[in-house]
Amino acid sequence: MWKHPWGYKEGFTISAGLVLTGILLQLTTGAVNTDFLQFPVNVFLGGLYIIFIVVLSFISNKNTSIRWLSGMTASITSISAFLFLVLIMGLTRQSGVHDNSGILGVLGFKNMLSSWSFVLVFIYMMSVLALVTLRRLKHFRWKKDIPFLLNHLGLFITLFAAVLGNADMHRYQMVVGSENPEWRATEDSGKIIEMDLAIELNDFTIDEYPPKLMLIDNHSGKTLPEKQPVTLLIEKAPTAGSLLDWDVSISNVLENAAPVVGRDSVHFVEFHSEGAAAAVYVTAANRKSGKQAAGWVSSGSFLFPYHALKLDEKVSIVMPDREPKRFASDVNVFTKDGKNIHSVIEVNKPLKVNGWKIYQISYDERMGKWSNISKFELVKDPWIGWVYAGIILMISGAIGLFVTGKTACENKGEND
Amino acid sequence: MTWETFIYFAIPSVILWAAGAYFAFRDKRKLALTLTITGILVFAAYIAGIWISLERPPLRTMGETRLWYSFFLPVAGLMTYLRWKYKWILSFSTILAFVFILINIFKPEIHNKTLMPALQSPWFAPHVIIYMFSYAVLGAATVIGLYFLIRKNDKNFTESIMHLIDNLVYVGTAFLTIGMLIGAVWAKDAWGHYWSWDPKETWAAATWLSYLIFIHYRNHKPKNLRNALYVLVFSFILLQVCWYGINYLPSAQGVSIHTYSLD
Repeated sequence: MWKHPWGYKEGFTISAGLVLTGILLQLTTGAVNTDFLQFPVNVFLGGLYIIFIVVLSFISNKNTSIRWLSGMTASITSISAFLFLVLIMGLTRQSGVHDNSGILGVLGFKNMLSSWSFVLVFIYMMSVLALVTLRRLKHFRWKKDIPFLLNHLGLFITLFAAVLGNADMHRYQMVVGSENPEWRATEDSGKIIEMDLAIELNDFTIDEYPPKLMLIDNHSGKTLPEKQPVTLLIEKAPTAGSLLDWDVSISNVLENAAPVVGRDSVHFVEFHSEGAAAAVYVTAANRKSGKQAAGWVSSGSFLFPYHALKLDEKVSIVMPDREPKRFASDVNVFTKDGKNIHSVIEVNKPLKVNGWKIYQISYDERMGKWSNISKFELVKDPWIGWVYAGIILMISGAIGLFVTGKTACENKGEND
Repeated sequence: MTWETFIYFAIPSVILWAAGAYFAFRDKRKLALTLTITGILVFAAYIAGIWISLERPPLRTMGETRLWYSFFLPVAGLMTYLRWKYKWILSFSTILAFVFILINIFKPEIHNKTLMPALQSPWFAPHVIIYMFSYAVLGAATVIGLYFLIRKNDKNFTESIMHLIDNLVYVGTAFLTIGMLIGAVWAKDAWGHYWSWDPKETWAAATWLSYLIFIHYRNHKPKNLRNALYVLVFSFILLQVCWYGINYLPSAQGVSIHTYSLD
């Protein structure tokens, strides 16, 4: 070992050494904190790193060990080491920096992204990637090397920008009620911050999917069949269908209803105010036992309890909470530099204002469709342009890979 | 169109594909192509029908992704047949597609109409369809590789088949990359971040890295087939974990935003 040319043995040993070093650092200094990597520190360190890599690349002509870093075995072994840690991450529930329980917790693997081993192996792999890319650039052949360059450079730019940009990314939550414009947002830590923009909620709407019915076990309360319930979606009335052995027909659907409690039964009437719930009138007959039942079923709301229909000793029919199809906030956004933007923000359609992106994330789920608050996330990610640039290069590279197949990227093989 | 009508499209498709595969063996190229394409069209008609009747792309449940998988296997087979002219590839893609069709006939999973707001995006369809295509191609490469591992020394077989496996892995990995990156761009729009190390993402990264190891190793040691094939099989196991395995993985329970099943 350690006689040139280095091979897989040396490669895996270096990787294992990095993992072990990481573990020692983890035990002595605790998890890695990358918060310090904020602008301008990240730009400065990133610049230094690039200079360092370029210098390494130039002296690699003279130094066989450094030259080895830009070769195949270094690539394969460093990717393998990184894969190894990603697999541990995939098999271990990631529960946060403060979870030091168990051997995996002590090693920092329950919060893999902040563990020293992960950070060291990642930097190592990224450096190998950079050196490989630079080496190819030095003897660049047009056409033949283009897919190679797009893939490798694209990946490097994406990873580099993602890592350096991470501490510069700000994410805040803002809960907006219907009264006043809101200027305050909260950090993950719970700290309240005054923003340079405010959101005024004009209107919050939820469209829901039609009500649906399913069966539950009277004793356990679990759905039937468990975990994969059969359901019946009620799009119009009257309608009929079946749930397991029960033939079900629905004669009346009230989108907005309230229960009226009689002496020995409950029935539902139209009700168009806050708190109304969907209710349907169900008639059911069992194909096997011939047993019949009829009555109202309702999902309930924050105001009214749900209402089930007991079919027999074992089974009841219920209406689960209705699923939202779309939720959206009609808002006015004010900024301190005097902008006033009127817009509708919904899931998958964030609004961009002064470098911030405003995402619709949630609402008062207890109130359901009657929610009069809206929850937003405000994200500023100044490095996103670089990440997208890297992604575009990689997609182009992948298309190149697809078009040219194996032949174009072929290496001479065996020699490095 | 409902899930119950699936069988009336699936069986004719399989028969057409099988006939196509037969004629490919007999070197009746035109007939093979016509039959296979007709089969694909019949199957596509069902997908279109269920898409329309569900009022959303059929891409949410496991059963629905299997539907695409069994669609893309013959498509991948056909493309391979057109490009590299292997006689047997169509039989092979037909058998694989048939297996997934059978699973969908005998064990269909809940197919309801609801699609949560986070999934309502123009990125949704390309993201999943590209992934399913990639899974189909990589699945084909893996089965060929396994066959090869078991049969051992057949020198003539070796060169050309290994070349095919390489090409399939290049195509599969290219699509894997594109599917993953489209997912990242979409995630930025839906959740505010392009990569959150959600369990599905972690396993997608692992799968991708493993295929990268295969590609690099093949370039480095083109003669050492056995090791390369082990990496190939290992990669596909990771892919299975990523596709549906995480639904059963204790470390991923309740934390993945990628599980859209009913509770």
